[in-house]
Amino acid sequence: MKIVINVQQDAFNTEVEQARLTEGRSDIGAIVSFTGWVRDFNERPDVSALTLEHFPGMTEKALHVIAREAGERWALQGATIIHRVGRLEPGDAIVLVMTASAHRRAAFEACDFIMDYLKTRAPFWKKEHTDSGSYWVSERQSDREAASRWEHS
Amino acid sequence: MTLTHLNARGEAHMVDVADKQETRREARARGSVHMQAATLALLSEGGLPKGDVLATARIAGIQAAKRTHELIPLCHALALSKVTIEFTLDEAESCVHVEAFCRLNGRTGVEMEALTAVSVACLTLYDMCKAVDKGMTIDGVRLEEKRGGRSGDWSREPMPEPAAATSRDPSAEAEKPAEAEKSAAISPTSGVKIQFLAELRERFETAECVLEWARLPSRDIAGVKLALINQDPKYKALLNQRVLCARNEAMSQNEAAVAPGDEIAFFPPVTGG
Repeated sequence: MKIVINVQQDAFNTEVEQARLTEGRSDIGAIVSFTGWVRDFNERPDVSALTLEHFPGMTEKALHVIAREAGERWALQGATIIHRVGRLEPGDAIVLVMTASAHRRAAFEACDFIMDYLKTRAPFWKKEHTDSGSYWVSERQSDREAASRWEHS
Repeated sequence: MTLTHLNARGEAHMVDVADKQETRREARARGSVHMQAATLALLSEGGLPKGDVLATARIAGIQAAKRTHELIPLCHALALSKVTIEFTLDEAESCVHVEAFCRLNGRTGVEMEALTAVSVACLTLYDMCKAVDKGMTIDGVRLEEKRGGRSGDWSREPMPEPAAATSRDPSAEAEKPAEAEKSAAISPTSGVKIQFLAELRERFETAECVLEWARLPSRDIAGVKLALINQDPKYKALLNQRVLCARNEAMSQNEAAVAPGDEIAFFPPVTGG
């Protein structure tokens, strides 16, 4: 299984990543990709920017572990996880998860799984900036519940 | 130094523990199974013919810990309160590290249980993978630390001290703290590096610091937190259950052992994605 992990400041290009994941293969039947975008409302209604912090070294390892676990649960041919760090503004793409498999179901479910685990297990922290000040984003119970779905299945 | 499993006539006997105080006993042991890189890759991808290797080896290790008294002649049967087995896949070393932790409140130590758990988990890894790699080796099965009981706490020093490691003589034990302090003073890696990330860094106004090894009340994450709180009460915030901790870039709990030179990071719940 091909695994591509990148934590980067620069923007990513979904088509380039798709070409990278499928390069030289003709046995892939399905590619599912999820792109997360920065919203202009979250804990407060006027988010003007956010700053993404990570833990260099551990974050990349944690993403590898999540991708490998997806590969253990579903018959994947490849998985890409790209997460941006630094300052981002509403309308910027922040995260890309792409999965490849022979049949669509595995790619759909693995992509969903990777995002749920990424949100609860990968060391990233968001700080939102608004006109009324900046604050660190709190974790969400709904994210923890979403991740726990996979523990009983 | 005396061997407690020999009686006055030099015959093997089981130690009578009826009059000993019940105390909290813990032990941690480690070992490794070295294998070809391709075998490790198959293991991590779940592509081995016998199925889920790590889950099977984990159960085997837990079962073995419970049956140690059936294998080691003079061991007592113990009602263990906790047994955990953890695996770390190490691509750089091309091996699987196995760690076992045993605990009970009782009258005898649980070192043999932790060592048996590691040994049988390693053997099970071998059995599950031998179809593709018969040259695997089981290496470095060893006790890392023990707590409680008459001989007190012990943990493996970075420099091997074989004489102290096997000693049960109280006078030899009494010399150990002084030796530990001495080696802490001269070793360049005698500290533990602490990092605070994201909101914790801002709250403490500290990105990183170094804790002297001698300041740790216990050689685990809980001991690191207490040492920091002794230094400055602001670090009481680390006792909040939501605060996460990584030791050498792997998520770790309060009871995880800490060694000199370790890098410990504290951070809030993650919010990426």
